[in-house]
Amino acid sequence: MPNKSKLKMALAAEKGTDFNKLKLHKKEKLANKKKAVKGTVEKSNRKKTEDEWEDMEEEVEDEEARSGAEFVAEESGSEEEAEGLMKINFDEIDESDSDSSAGENDQEVSDDEDDEDIPMSDLEDLDEEEKEDMIPHQRLTINNTVALTAALKRIALPISKLPFSEHQSITTSEPVKIEDVSDDLNRELAFYAQSLSAVQEARKKLKAEGVPFTRPIDYFAEMVKADEHMAKIKAKLIDEAASKKASAEARKQRDLKKFGKQVQVAKLQERDKERKQTMEKIKTLKRKRQGADNEATNEADMFDVAVDDEIGSKPSRKDRMGPNKRQKDEKYGHGGKKRFKKSGDAMSSGDLTGFSAKKMKGGAAKRPGKARRAGKR
Amino acid sequence: MASVYKSLSKTNGSKEDGPANGVKKNKQRVLILSSRGITYRHRHLLNDLASLLPHGRKDAKLDTKSKLYQLNELAELYNCNNVFFFEARKGKDLYLWMSKAPNGPTVKMHMQNLHTMEELHFTGNCLKGSRPILSFDSKFDTEPHLRVLKELFLHIFGVPKGARKSKPFVDHVMGFTLADGKIWIRNYQINETEASKVTSADVEEGLKKKEKRDKTGGGKETEISLVEIGPRFVLTPIVIQEGSFGGPIIYENKEFVSPNQVRSEIRLKKAGRYNARAEQGIERLAKKGELGLRTSGGRAPKKDELDTAELFA
Repeated sequence: MPNKSKLKMALAAEKGTDFNKLKLHKKEKLANKKKAVKGTVEKSNRKKTEDEWEDMEEEVEDEEARSGAEFVAEESGSEEEAEGLMKINFDEIDESDSDSSAGENDQEVSDDEDDEDIPMSDLEDLDEEEKEDMIPHQRLTINNTVALTAALKRIALPISKLPFSEHQSITTSEPVKIEDVSDDLNRELAFYAQSLSAVQEARKKLKAEGVPFTRPIDYFAEMVKADEHMAKIKAKLIDEAASKKASAEARKQRDLKKFGKQVQVAKLQERDKERKQTMEKIKTLKRKRQGADNEATNEADMFDVAVDDEIGSKPSRKDRMGPNKRQKDEKYGHGGKKRFKKSGDAMSSGDLTGFSAKKMKGGAAKRPGKARRAGKR
Repeated sequence: MASVYKSLSKTNGSKEDGPANGVKKNKQRVLILSSRGITYRHRHLLNDLASLLPHGRKDAKLDTKSKLYQLNELAELYNCNNVFFFEARKGKDLYLWMSKAPNGPTVKMHMQNLHTMEELHFTGNCLKGSRPILSFDSKFDTEPHLRVLKELFLHIFGVPKGARKSKPFVDHVMGFTLADGKIWIRNYQINETEASKVTSADVEEGLKKKEKRDKTGGGKETEISLVEIGPRFVLTPIVIQEGSFGGPIIYENKEFVSPNQVRSEIRLKKAGRYNARAEQGIERLAKKGELGLRTSGGRAPKKDELDTAELFA
């Protein structure tokens, strides 16, 4: 602010007023006023010419729309300032009117040329006080429906008149709904379903028109993907399958390893159980045999004879040994643990066979001396 | 004699064709080219698309990015009435221009999520130059700018009947779907199988098989299943111009955020991180100074009454 005195500036600084904001505020007011005036004028004009408006050539609208677009493309820089402003206002009003007539509900806030566009999202994280001073701006939407339809009309193929085989395009009867675009699986599924339904419909139509649809098996021609490309894809598929198989195998092996120990333990236990059972059997048989000594004619024994023989047929080791060996074994022992054989234990210390109270009291005859003993012999 | 017969039969044929069609024929030719500075993926995608468009004419890269109106002359030179132009920016962003050559309209779109046939490893395949079925979402008919887009897709991706290198059978389908304000494009092979038999191709599409069964229901017709061929890409419309590479803008997408802006915002965010931290440090220093905890700077601590210097002064 070069035209303000220093004192005033200082005062303003003290108060904390922002000149830019003030300026913006003023501009807003001005713009609102202008708009209101123009709007009323325009509306009255519109009302007068409403019935004519319907019948008007598209060209006129086109022209207006074009000029509007030109402004936004900033190609109308050479125009005079005042005139430009006028025109701009007109154009903006036209724009919004045409939009609303087309059922568009875009909230457009027109703005002057030198103001920068500020997106709405940036406004949300401002303070309340600052918000009051701001004029919200948005990027201007250009949607010149009239020009668009005109352009479409110019290039459009007469699809309804053409036979289907000319264009081969199918539009779905209902819009494809995709809830979440980032959900890959469902999105692709929707695309797939759309194309599939189109194909089914197209096949019906093409067959009705007598156009060949299916490629015969013996029709060979260049494909979009070359053979080497397909070979690569095949190799990749095989690779994938192989790796899948390998990983499955590895998992199986791991599981086996985990359970292998349990299996082994179970087997050992089974073996143990079997042995115990046979031992039991033998014991019972032995008991039975002892009973058979008393009652030789026991019916049960008579049936068990064969089993007895079977089990008792094999003579034990002790039976096979000669008497000499048996004696020696009894004396010196055979087999078994050799260690701590001579050390005392509970049994040996409790054994009082070699003890007599008499001997302890010295009552027993003393051993004669050596000479006497020798003399005695 | 043979020539006479030929000429006679030709005239006959054309006469038959003329009244039967009644209206103008669907006659399209597409000029396919890119700007300079595209990456290999962009180039491969362009090749893939060119292989799908037998009515296309591939040309060398265009030297300029600012004088795109030159494309009109090029199209005229090659007798093309459509232009399909890849514009690469900064070696990473790809914009797709589609235009009806002599007098518009032109559509500029941003291409994202592009995957070429080569890198997708799909098992589908189709004849080079067979005519596709174009499947459009019905949302394309809701608004005028979308209808313009649909018409352009129809002209450029639809192979006209009797195009020079086209093949007589229909074995692939192109899907154009509108979702999230973007156009998603997919290309599938049409796989026909006997109703009872299940081929290996079906196994790959195991996920979708059930649905297919439901749809076809049976009958003596062959079952149809689709196998994707590729490529895949997503387009975001940006602007529509009335002329061909020129003229007033008749549609602009408000929701489009340019990739430059996205990148700059990310950068700003990163820069903001450091700034916030630095500010915190300064604040802490100031706080300490305020409490008189710093040796230099800040306020000196208040003299305590019981300080030794005070007591024994």
